[in-house]
Order: sequence, then structure tokens, then C-alpha cells
Amino acid sequence: MTTTGTSTRRLSTAKAISEGIAQEMRVDDGVFVMGEDVGAYGGIFGATGDLLGEFGPERIIDTPISETAFIGAGIGAATEGMRPVVELMFVDFFGVCMDQIYNHMAKIHYESGGAVKVPMVLMASAGGGYSDAAQHSQCLWGTFAHLPGLKVVVPSNPYDAKGLMISAIRDDNPVLYLFHKGIMGLVWMAKNPRSIGIVPEEAYTVPIGEAAVARAGTDVSIITLSLSVHHALDAAEQLAADGISAEVIDLRSLVPLDRQAVLESVGKTGRLLVVDEDYLSFGLTGEIAAIVAETDPTMLKAPVRRLAVPDTPIPYARPLETFVLPKTDKIVAEAKQLIA
Amino acid sequence: MSVEVIFPVMSEKDPSGEGVVGTWFALDGERVVEGQLIAEVQVDKVSADVEAPASGVLRHRVAEEAVSNQGAVIAVIE
Repeated sequence: MTTTGTSTRRLSTAKAISEGIAQEMRVDDGVFVMGEDVGAYGGIFGATGDLLGEFGPERIIDTPISETAFIGAGIGAATEGMRPVVELMFVDFFGVCMDQIYNHMAKIHYESGGAVKVPMVLMASAGGGYSDAAQHSQCLWGTFAHLPGLKVVVPSNPYDAKGLMISAIRDDNPVLYLFHKGIMGLVWMAKNPRSIGIVPEEAYTVPIGEAAVARAGTDVSIITLSLSVHHALDAAEQLAADGISAEVIDLRSLVPLDRQAVLESVGKTGRLLVVDEDYLSFGLTGEIAAIVAETDPTMLKAPVRRLAVPDTPIPYARPLETFVLPKTDKIVAEAKQLIA
Repeated sequence: MSVEVIFPVMSEKDPSGEGVVGTWFALDGERVVEGQLIAEVQVDKVSADVEAPASGVLRHRVAEEAVSNQGAVIAVIE
């Protein structure tokens, strides 16, 4: 494909991820991709589109439906010095292969006394909002962030998606890379306008462990990630019309977590609303609240509010699913209650 | 001289059937280079990339997310 030579080229998140992988594959023979339908199909959500044509079936490897086997194979390749990018089609499928993920991928470096590195990216789709029911709509990033030994990154837009993928591939640690289907810019899915954006053509990195201020504000901090960043930005616009200045923080990484960004924002606004599409209890929303509580609860002008999926499986029926997801109208209502 | 941008024919059974211009990566009025990715179109649930057939200024003829037909003109490059 011809390059435009401009800095205004726009891509979908799916194409940005694929481009990031391709650019690393061109400069490092040890990078390869493995997973279900990553080849001719281009990844079920497009994250590996066009890669098979350029790199062939020896480096873009379609696997059988055997997650334990191909994640284990990826771990083996990584311990031998390669840099595999392995796709677990839906993060919901982790149950069948979790031993490979948390007892091997996440622990080999520790248990070898640092002698063996596992420079591997495990990528998976996450999230709901399109009636795919309880086994295909979960986020689950809190489950993985809870377990020591792996980094967890969760981009919200095309620019970060490419930069975080390149960072993840270059990282010597195992990195779980979770993309929400709603940020991919797929034509056949409800497409969020922010899932298409300007992406530089050259390779670049977005540092793992650094949050971003998606929108600056002074009255309330909305700390969130992934697709919920889009909902929070929409909410911030509605709140602005009512004279409320909301700051939106996109965490981008869960491990390492940018605690300083949380404290800086809440220190400025004095009000904290944490929004997460993962389950409410024992998860990200409680973790963020704890950062403030442990550091200086007097910075809060009002009690923390948490908006997340209320500890129920994600329903298939659209009205029920909409009821449990933390969408724009709920964020607006929660923020207004914080200010009141 | 302007060059037409055609909605690619993706369906053997129904080569002039309906599809959707899902995404304009290159905006209306933007200068594009031959071979540049400018759009993604979709027929049923299958999508395809559309590259610029020439260099010049892109003029959309079909809006993003609007229905068109395979083989139809979706833009011109002036």
C-alpha cells in the first residue's frame, strides 16, 4: 500500500493494531502470530488483517481450537527467545487455558530466578454491547490484573492501540493486550466515531503504565479505560452543557497502574467517579478508590462513586444488556450526583 | 480529468447487490495518493478495503454508512 507521507492518515483501531504487528515483524524475525482464524480471516475482529499475505503461513499461524496447546507453544517459543503474538479469540475463553496463562506465562520468569524471560503478547477481544451473551461479552481485565507476573494493557483508540502493541511486542515480559470489540472500528459492528483516528505511519511506542488525560476538567474526575473512555467523553460533553467540567482519564494500562495520574486528577477535582465495564466487586473500581483512600482521603469533597457491571452475567437480551453496561447516560447521572 | 472510485464487486451471486460504505478513511476534499487506503466497504458481513485508483482530491459521492451498490461510483478523484 502506498504511503501518503502526511500526518493526517486515518485508520481504524483494528488496522492500527495490525500495522503495529506488521512493522515489528519486518524488523524482527522472531515476531510471529498464532491463533484461531488469524490468517486468511485476518482475526475475528480484524487485528491481524492483511498479515498472512505479507508474511505467509509460517509466521501467521492458524491454529486448531486448542487454546492450551497454542498458548503453551507461544510460551515455549518466547522462552527460546522469539516474540510471539498469540490471539485468544475471546478473553471469555481463558478458562480452558488459564493454567498456561497464570501458572506458566506469568510465573516462569519469577520461578527461574529471572533467568528465563517470556517476551510474549497474549491478545484477546473483550467487552459487550452487541448481544453476544454471557460467554462472549466479558471484560475480565480485573481478573488478570489481580495476578502477579503479567502486564495488562487496554487501549481505547487507534493511536494508542498501535503504540501499545509495539511496546508490548518489544517488552521482555508477558503482556496481556485486551481490545474491546467496540473500539475496533468494524463496519459490521456498532461503530464508534472515535474508533477511527489519525495514526502515524512510522513505528512508535506508547509507554506501558502511563495513563492519558483524554479530556481535561476541574469539577469531577472520571477514571476509566477502553470503550468506556468513549462513553465518558460523550458524557463530559453533556455535562459541559450543564456547566460541569469533567476530566476523563484513560488508564490505558492496568499493570503497571499509573497511580500518580489518578492522584493528580482527583487532587485537582476532589471528586472521583470510576467507570468500568468489568464486574463491580473485587475489581478495578475498588482498586482506584483504594489508591485515593490509602493516600489522602481528605482530597475528596464527596464520597467516591463506582459505576461498573453489577455482578451479573452479561445478558443476551438487548434491553437487559443495556441496563447493566456503564453507558453515557449512567455516567452523566453519576457525575451529577457527585456534584450535587 | 477525474477518476471514478468504484464500490468493489464482492458477491458472485449478486454482483450489483447492495452494500454499505462503512468508513471513509480519507475525508471529503482530502488530497489522496494512488494506492492509499481511502475506504472500507461491506456487503452482508464481509468488508473490503478500497484504495485510491489515482492521485488527486477526493470527492465523496456516497456518505459514510450510506447504502450503495457493488459496481457503483462512490467517489471521484479530481
